[in-house]
Amino acid sequence: MRFAYGLAIAVVGACLVPLVSPNYMLTIIIEALIWGIFAMSLDLLVGYTRLYSFGHVAAYGLGAYSSALLLLHFHMPLPFAIILAVVISSLIATPIAWVCTRTHGVSFAMLTLAFAQLGYAMLYRFKEFTGGSNGLAGIPRPAGPFGIELFQHKVGYFYLVVFCLFGSYLLCRSLVNSPFGSVLAGIRENEAKTRALGYNTRAYKRAIVIASYGFGSLAGALYAPFAGFASPELFFWLISGKVLIMVIVGGAGTLIGPIIGGIFFIFLENQLAEITDLWPLIFGSVFIAFVMLAPQGIWGLVTSTLNRRRAPAGAGPDPEDVSGASA
Amino acid sequence: MNFAGFLLTQCLNALSQASILFFIASGLTLIFGIMRIVNFAHGALFMLGAYAGYTAVTVTGSFTLALVFAPLVTGLVGMAFERAFLSRLYVRGDGGAYLMVTFGLAVIMGEAIRLIWGPQPQGVPTPDMLRGVVFLLNQPFPYYRFFLIAIGAAAAIGLWQFLERTRAGLLIRAVSQNAEMVHALGTNVEYVRTGVFGLGCAMAAIGGVLAAPLVTAYLGMGSNVIIDAFVIVIIGGMGSFLGSIIGSLLVAFVQVFGAYYFPNLALAIMYLLMLLILVVRPGGLLGKEE
Repeated sequence: MRFAYGLAIAVVGACLVPLVSPNYMLTIIIEALIWGIFAMSLDLLVGYTRLYSFGHVAAYGLGAYSSALLLLHFHMPLPFAIILAVVISSLIATPIAWVCTRTHGVSFAMLTLAFAQLGYAMLYRFKEFTGGSNGLAGIPRPAGPFGIELFQHKVGYFYLVVFCLFGSYLLCRSLVNSPFGSVLAGIRENEAKTRALGYNTRAYKRAIVIASYGFGSLAGALYAPFAGFASPELFFWLISGKVLIMVIVGGAGTLIGPIIGGIFFIFLENQLAEITDLWPLIFGSVFIAFVMLAPQGIWGLVTSTLNRRRAPAGAGPDPEDVSGASA
Repeated sequence: MNFAGFLLTQCLNALSQASILFFIASGLTLIFGIMRIVNFAHGALFMLGAYAGYTAVTVTGSFTLALVFAPLVTGLVGMAFERAFLSRLYVRGDGGAYLMVTFGLAVIMGEAIRLIWGPQPQGVPTPDMLRGVVFLLNQPFPYYRFFLIAIGAAAAIGLWQFLERTRAGLLIRAVSQNAEMVHALGTNVEYVRTGVFGLGCAMAAIGGVLAAPLVTAYLGMGSNVIIDAFVIVIIGGMGSFLGSIIGSLLVAFVQVFGAYYFPNLALAIMYLLMLLILVVRPGGLLGKEE
């Protein structure tokens, strides 16, 4: 029940944003929400399966370039192009997932990085197709389906992004709460044991990598038509690090945390970049501080404080305090 | 065109390239072998080495002093970082935490270097003694690159002998095999770890100083080189010293000849090579699968 109330408040609140926000702010808000989707998609791997992907930018770039090419060449209605871009990206992610899940831990991180770099190199290899270092400019946002022109305006696009954010959040949430999600948790805690229980852990890992890339590509597919261009910047490996930071600082393994982390960071970046050029210095220090001192992230801190307050006094120790670590 | 001369100079070019790559990759693989840490900041430390070398050359005018000063500074920075942050994470036993903390360090160092030395590239002149070219089969070849090959080979042999023959090298190899046992035998494993981390960082800094006359010291040289170094270490097998030599050679030859014969595919070939090796041997050429 609490969840339903929270969700309803969030939806209503989000829908009211365009009424109160100045137009220029809306651009940043849309970008922040897209990054929220992107960070959440990585959380499926990092937080729920403990597979550290250092090449998640590949998902973003694949989605962005697919939707850009579809819109440029076929001029199809925007929602169709986005859906199709996600499908194409997930198909491309399938062999990637097959190779990467042969390994785990550090090797997995490096393999995903290698695939992302391969994608980056391919952009330059197929210049006539991808525009090389110039990228693709002038991506249209065609009307439709049924002549709907809503998404051609910024406010309409905002609602589209909000819809995608809540939709993919609910999908991811039911995914991690399903029996499938329990097996993922088993892999996270002890892969050998889970395999011994009779689960084909590699197949589960493959599936979650593809799903994570799918949701990540949704973020990219939303970004390219919004910005109107796609450039190799969208495939640059530092983005993978940035989104990982958002997941960790927001709170890995909570879905909501990474969304908040993504939104928070894009806002901060936009606000701070104007007043100080020390931004990366602060950004890096905050990140190290979180990894060292609060690995559960912002949302983890919030929920544990709330739970502690909710628990009636004398009802026994908090389950998280059993270790005696936080006496 | 003189094909034999071309081939010879290209091979020598690749060898000199491999030498610089080796300085970065060997440190990376050494640190991984002992501590199971993938040091994302290794590229940034390489860059710090190049900038520190630039300062040493402009102040003292001596390239040799730069080759001493830069690794010293960078090694100390690395050791301080290891003591302050990484050593507190050992108990957690989570490889991801190392990756993230060192990534944070890479971001901070990149920015700190920009604040200290400014955004414009800083050229380091080739030392006077090594200026000029020699003609090999009518093809010009710079002396400096011969120097790179020589110093790379010397470092590879020196480091190998250090690991194989000295007591400190013995300790390092022992810690990489079973740290708990070494600890139980009365050695302070913490010191070994800090020392190895500093040594790895110092190696990267030497690579940075050596690369500076060729490419100047510029922001972003760290992020360019760290990817190459990762590829090398993965190809050779993480933690394998010999693997880092083989990987450096392979990557350098692929880069030099790939850039000539397949200019469009040069970047991709390196990653394809790596993927191929990983599919056949998930642990790299000489590595053990975890």
